[in-house]
Amino acid sequence: MATQMFVVAKTYVGCGGSTMATVQEKSVVSEDTVGLRVNGESHRVRVEPQWTLQYVLSEKLGLTGTKEFCGEGACGACTVIMDGRPVLSCMTLAIECSGKNIETIEGIARSNHPLIEAYIKHSCMQCGFCTPGFVVTAKALLDRKPDPTVEEIKEAMVGNLCRCGTYPAHIKAIQEAAAVLRDVLRGGVGREQ
Amino acid sequence: MSNDQAPKIDQRQRMLEAFDNKVADPYPLEEYRSIGRQGVLRTDGREKATGAAKYTLDVQLPGMLYARFLTSPYPHAAIVGMDTSEAEKLPGVRCVLRYDDPELAGGVAVSGHELNSVAALPRVAHFQGEECGAYVVADSEEIAENALRTIKVEWEQRPFLLDVEKAIAPGAPLTNPEEFPDSNLWMVYNEGHGDVEKGFAQADKVIEFKWTFGLNTWAGPERPCGVWRWNGDFAEVWVKQQRPHIAKRAISTWFGGIPMSKIDLHCLYQGASFGGWTQMAWNLAGTYLAGLASKRTGRPVKWAFSRREDFYGGNMDAGVFYVKVGFKRDGTITAVSERGVTLNQDMPTFGIVAHLMENTKIPHVRGRTEAAWVNKGHMVPTRCEMNINCYTVNLVFNHVADALGMDPVEVALLNDGAEGHDLEWLNARKAEQGFPVRDSLRECVEKGKAAIGWGEKWHAPGTKKLPNGRMHGLGFTWTHEWDDSAGSSEIGMYFERNDGSVTILGCRADVGVNAETAYCQIAADELGVPVETVRFKHMDDAGFFTMTPDTSTNLSVNGWAVRNAARILKQKLLETAVAPRAKTQLTCFPPAFPGLKPEDLDVEDGVIFEKADPANRMTIADFIGPSGAMGPITSTVGEPLLVGKEGIDYPYRGTPPMFDHGWHIQHGTYLGVRLKFCRQAHFMEVEVDPETGAVDITKIVTVNDVGKVINWDGCEGQAYGGAIMGVGRGLTEEVVYDERTGIMLNGNLLNYKIPTLMDYGDIETIMVETGMGYGPYGTVGIGEDVATVLPALVGPAVHNALGVWIDGFPATPDRVLRALGKA
Ligand code: FES
Ligand code: FES
Repeated sequence: MATQMFVVAKTYVGCGGSTMATVQEKSVVSEDTVGLRVNGESHRVRVEPQWTLQYVLSEKLGLTGTKEFCGEGACGACTVIMDGRPVLSCMTLAIECSGKNIETIEGIARSNHPLIEAYIKHSCMQCGFCTPGFVVTAKALLDRKPDPTVEEIKEAMVGNLCRCGTYPAHIKAIQEAAAVLRDVLRGGVGREQ
Repeated sequence: MSNDQAPKIDQRQRMLEAFDNKVADPYPLEEYRSIGRQGVLRTDGREKATGAAKYTLDVQLPGMLYARFLTSPYPHAAIVGMDTSEAEKLPGVRCVLRYDDPELAGGVAVSGHELNSVAALPRVAHFQGEECGAYVVADSEEIAENALRTIKVEWEQRPFLLDVEKAIAPGAPLTNPEEFPDSNLWMVYNEGHGDVEKGFAQADKVIEFKWTFGLNTWAGPERPCGVWRWNGDFAEVWVKQQRPHIAKRAISTWFGGIPMSKIDLHCLYQGASFGGWTQMAWNLAGTYLAGLASKRTGRPVKWAFSRREDFYGGNMDAGVFYVKVGFKRDGTITAVSERGVTLNQDMPTFGIVAHLMENTKIPHVRGRTEAAWVNKGHMVPTRCEMNINCYTVNLVFNHVADALGMDPVEVALLNDGAEGHDLEWLNARKAEQGFPVRDSLRECVEKGKAAIGWGEKWHAPGTKKLPNGRMHGLGFTWTHEWDDSAGSSEIGMYFERNDGSVTILGCRADVGVNAETAYCQIAADELGVPVETVRFKHMDDAGFFTMTPDTSTNLSVNGWAVRNAARILKQKLLETAVAPRAKTQLTCFPPAFPGLKPEDLDVEDGVIFEKADPANRMTIADFIGPSGAMGPITSTVGEPLLVGKEGIDYPYRGTPPMFDHGWHIQHGTYLGVRLKFCRQAHFMEVEVDPETGAVDITKIVTVNDVGKVINWDGCEGQAYGGAIMGVGRGLTEEVVYDERTGIMLNGNLLNYKIPTLMDYGDIETIMVETGMGYGPYGTVGIGEDVATVLPALVGPAVHNALGVWIDGFPATPDRVLRALGKA
């Protein structure tokens, strides 16, 4: 059943480390079933227009690694990568994501990204609730900047809140994962973990 | 209730009864394999890094419904009428529970922490945002929320008060007449030793000051929630609870009583927990109502607070405090008295000058806490109830140093001691109890001073302007390390058949402090097995009461239980290794170590061997044997199966789980009655802009004498994580209410500012290991310390920068400017 409706869509897109707001007023949405490509797999999901991407990922697709902490764009726990850019999925309406390529923590974990081993080695988690959001944000950073400086890491990660205060560990882990990735790119096999 | 007499207890007698290290630890390990080793990976690392870790909020069950509470729009109001008919008609709404429901009328109490008990669904709200009146259960959280909006409530508004001092003024309107019908001052708690008037008379100088602390809150990532499913008569409950066993105890009293054996409790990973909510009966009200709704609908029910609703469970530190200090010219403090008016504390009995009593040689100390009730949310110990005590120590020492122009580190060292006695007396007690005699505070401050560059950087207050126009400041504070060791612990442990790996059983909440790994390390070293083969299964109720992570008591209680269980299990292993052979119906097993005694054997790296002839060896896996028909018949729980069949000899190679508990070790130690030997010292460097009042923290050095490090990641994580939380609480975090309407203004993470990774400068964490803790191997808790001591440190650091004292915390720019006379 296709319904014609207007929604006010607010999309907050993490970009270059800073969080920028872009507001799309009154875009026309003409279907309530969206096709999402999540971690390389296609899904057709019936969505209501007000449902957030975070809700659809965790409640409808069972991808509970994408967490909601603040629910309003303040913490980064819900970060996913959409068409190459980090996006706050709690501020993104699922209905807008038709045809988008979405990468979640589950996909990053499945691809054996070196961030995972580095995060474990450096004990970047305490309660762990915020951790997936950090990994996803860091992955998006390394995708576009394979050799970030400490300042660049801080800038990229400043939108991710951790109440347990794990921050110092993340910087070490991201630097280490970056080094492993660079080795791989150079044709090596990655460093000893 | 009033307690006008400070308790008169023979401290020495109490101490000696409380703990005897010589008896408690007769087998100190000389060497450790995994304990204290750097680089032991945390057991939950992969689960958490990959997003696989499951939290209560993630639970999804077939047919599950979602529940939300109605909340009060007013700070003090009673429901006199309510129309829920529209909500009930809304498609997708499956059940609406009302305060006047026959099964809820009369205010069913859900219990919770021992000290508070509230109605599951009250009619009267005592703060804006309080859950009351209705609980809507629907196909989704969103439908439940929409239904709540259709409920028409007739409210009777009552007068409200937000200010604690106004609340205790004569003639003030009652803020909670249901619970406190006589007065808003519901409790006075007195503490102290000596005679302060005598102490002030002996002083060369007496100063007085006032300080205040705004309300902050835990702001953890997982909203309070719970899930209930009835499986026939069995109640299956998922709790987001730091204390799953207390929750289970409460649950067993509900609905006319549910036998403990019929409750299946799950306590998944906790999206943080710093105490707080766990002690709130509210937290259980949602679960109680989920149980009721689940019964009526025949479906599982999950409830959750919204993010904003979560903000009403605050920290117990808020209040107004008046301090008077007498001291000699050389910095010796002769007397301290403090009066505090605290806000909505359910438990004010932790005092405000306890650390001065426990931790210093100050002979005359008096504290009076007046616990007042206002129309804000409940205050509960949230990392932790010692916060006011830490502020007091900090401000007393730094004010004295300032008044004398002395280095505050020197004032601290001069007054170190315990219970009014000096360090020499304390050292005699260390020796008496079998501890090493070390000067913990001196060791801590020396390391800390070197790390922050105290010698070069410390200066007279308000004298160092930086090239960027800001003022440079350096601050120092200290206190003792604490673990309250409140409670007992039971642990089950056994070797798994087939491969001899080790399982530890005991239900407790994982809040992320990495204690689970520490327990695996203890078991591994005590048993002689690789740490990678040990797992602590802590999420499901296995029938053991394992101490929860609150009150910094992880290791100091559970650590003993794990260690003792491991020692018993190892002894049993060696006894069975030399025992007569076992037979089953299908096969028989050769003797493992015939002709030897258990003491002739040892275990290393998972291999049992003869000490005199290490080549005589057998892996635990081979010894334990396979499961099933080809293996010895054993039970996975309890004693070996003695089925009385022909051909089965006893004893045989079984591995019954070993149970042990830590209670006997901790006997007599409830509520911190032991002398504290380990100290902590912290240093902070700041830059303060005198034009804007902004405070930038550029460096923090934390030094903790943790006695003995079991797990480095855990200790350091608590130190830097605590420091970062402390920065927020000291600088930016405050829940603000509108004075005119009583409405909370910043119940969200955009306006309630917790630190980001740009907000704390550099952090250096230093561990000192004197072995003077009461936990196994001489450990002491660190989980609460740094987050609790650090917020106060902003005060002296800003004072050193500006030369003026801020009298209110958090040290927001407006308070800094006010101290400068600019606002
Ligand atoms: S949950 Fe999306 S930014 Fe916080
Ligand atoms: S690890 Fe708990 S919030 Fe980050």
